[in-house]
Amino acid sequence: MARREDVFISLSAGLTGYSPVRLIGTGMCDQYLAELGKVLSDGMVDEFLSAYARPPADGGCSVLKVLRDARWGPVARRVMILWYCGTWTALPESWHAVHGASSADTDHVVSAEAYQAGLQWVAAGAHPAGARQQGFGAWALAPEGV
Amino acid sequence: MVVVGSGISGSIIANELSRAGKTVLILEAGPGTDSSLVEYEAFLTRFYDAAVKDNQSPYAPNPNAAMPRSSDAVRIWPGQPDSSTYLVRNGPLATDSTYTRVLGGTTLHWEGKTPRMMPDDFRTRSAYGVGLDWPLTYTELSPHYAQAERELGVSGDVETQTFGGITFEPGYVYPMRGLPLSYLDTVVAKGIDGTAVELAGERYELRVRPFPQARNGIPNPDYDDGRGFVPVGAVSTNQVEEGGRCQGNNNCVPLCPVQAKYNARKTLAKALQTGCVDILVQTVASKVILDPVTGRVSGIEVKAYEDPVSPRHTTWTMRGHVFVLAANAIENARLMLASGLGSSSGLMGRNLMDHAYLLSWGLLPEVAGTFRGTNCTGGISDLRTGAFRRQQAAFAVDIHNDGWAWAVGSPYSDLIQMVDQENLFGARLRNALQSRISSQLQLAFIIEVPPSESNRVTVDPAYTDQLGNMRPVISYTLPDYTMRGASYARQLARRVFQCLDAADHTSYDPEDSQYVTYEGQGYVIRGGNHLAGTHIMGTSPATSVVDDRQRSWDHKNLYLVGGGSMPTIGTSNITLTLAALCFRSARHIIQQLRADASLTLPPDAPSDAA
Repeated sequence: MARREDVFISLSAGLTGYSPVRLIGTGMCDQYLAELGKVLSDGMVDEFLSAYARPPADGGCSVLKVLRDARWGPVARRVMILWYCGTWTALPESWHAVHGASSADTDHVVSAEAYQAGLQWVAAGAHPAGARQQGFGAWALAPEGV
Repeated sequence: MVVVGSGISGSIIANELSRAGKTVLILEAGPGTDSSLVEYEAFLTRFYDAAVKDNQSPYAPNPNAAMPRSSDAVRIWPGQPDSSTYLVRNGPLATDSTYTRVLGGTTLHWEGKTPRMMPDDFRTRSAYGVGLDWPLTYTELSPHYAQAERELGVSGDVETQTFGGITFEPGYVYPMRGLPLSYLDTVVAKGIDGTAVELAGERYELRVRPFPQARNGIPNPDYDDGRGFVPVGAVSTNQVEEGGRCQGNNNCVPLCPVQAKYNARKTLAKALQTGCVDILVQTVASKVILDPVTGRVSGIEVKAYEDPVSPRHTTWTMRGHVFVLAANAIENARLMLASGLGSSSGLMGRNLMDHAYLLSWGLLPEVAGTFRGTNCTGGISDLRTGAFRRQQAAFAVDIHNDGWAWAVGSPYSDLIQMVDQENLFGARLRNALQSRISSQLQLAFIIEVPPSESNRVTVDPAYTDQLGNMRPVISYTLPDYTMRGASYARQLARRVFQCLDAADHTSYDPEDSQYVTYEGQGYVIRGGNHLAGTHIMGTSPATSVVDDRQRSWDHKNLYLVGGGSMPTIGTSNITLTLAALCFRSARHIIQQLRADASLTLPPDAPSDAA
């Protein structure tokens, strides 16, 4: 079986629309996997990754299969949000009712680095507020692609 | 001299007095080291780690010198004050304004806009029959505006700021050239520049105009008769090359990461270099003590604590010649009232003012590069004064470079909606985020609130903090005059969006704690943290608390300084004006100390705080 980091990056690329190279370049993969382990347990993370890694029987899209899964869909959406803003957002109560509670499942910024690595800013052609600034006067120029 | 508060007012007065050879003791209720970059960096890390990035997010909660948070405001029901957080909100409107209690005060989190008030703003009673006249004119304050612009390091261009009656000394230039407008500003300008509006029979032409800002830019070589200007960067005991020029962090509020934005620690650092200034932090002023014979202030009782979490403290009395309360409009009034000093005018705590902010937000039909630059570089200033002020409040309009962040919490709120509601993922999510975040336009209307005696700060022994100090009780509502301005502002926002082919996404939630209705329409009106007017200045002890030099009419060696002294606030963010007032007061205090031989230390006083 592939390394769990590789599976996680592959899944994350499908979820976020950013290439594996771009995601690895954030340096956040290990922290996010560890965070996921804290919220779900490492065993459950392995199940989550396996659910993605098993090719769908009908030959369809593995990412869509995970997103449409009652158990893993909500988790995959939390992972998307994590990559885009560095914040873990709590799973719905209804999810916990079926799949078990976790005291670590609260809304929180994973770390100062995670906040700064948020992809939402990159998507907007901007930078995280308070970090990775573009420099004096850059705000007067047209954003990328305009 | 004893100064209560290390924010911009206290810092300017301490610095000026120490330069004149006076010995100054500053009392700061909150924590802080004098000039360490380490502490500043800790604020930044705390901000990065905070799940909710409001304007207090970099600063640790401190029950011994508590800070109001905008999230504290809840809906007030008649007869049921909300006392669940530090500010006791008596309503009817729950203010969500805040101030920061750390060394350097609210200038740590302020945005840094520095427009001068307009000449008309000093005489709204005579010119428009509304509010009060100042005992000062624009012309009298003008040289002190120039002092304040030097101290704060203002970037601006005189050509763009000469309007609505504002004038400058011949040949004057700001210390630094104006910061460039954002690309977003220029997109708005393309759509609206030259648009005419009719109001009370007068015609106004709208245009996007830059705001002057206390933020380092390119020094103007013509400043100071060709001597130029050297920007003041980050405050540090060791040499750091940081903050000499704004980097566009889009994070002025709640903390400029590089200290290109002015904060009062820059002035404090200079004051400390004189060797005449001492600062006691974690020292909360609890009572102003009078000499029963002379009516002068003989001392300030303080409660000093080691641990912000523990109520353990020691009580001391600080003595001196001259006392300056510079703790902001709410805390100055709170301290005086808690000391039983309501002013012979009865006006202590009354006429509390703040700007009323109405937000309107829309999506531009094109990518406009939102979320870059300082929080705000430009806006519309054409309706800041005019004959219409007889009927309705004036306003300025900010174009926010941080999108809908204030209105709805963008970009986080957009992300959550796209992922959880719209079920977007992959490239579609990425593209949708780009188009929706970088085309956001938020207009913030900063609307005039005239003085009203029923808007006020009081104290009540039923409400105390853990040190036993009485907490401020706030009664506040918005007059119809302001609401007429708000109603017009909303119409104007619609017009601006139409000129820009922008989709209006504005909606005001009736469940919001700041929701108000006026003539059948609902609005959400935010506070501006521009707290003013609780010890207004005037020409007579019967109608004001302090004179035109911010000296208490009742107690001749006591000065109450800052926004609290302002009888009106017009449409200008208040900091530059209160800084100018403090320069004026400092000059007066120095003259008084030289002239008034009767200002001697009480016999039992220690000699170290003269």
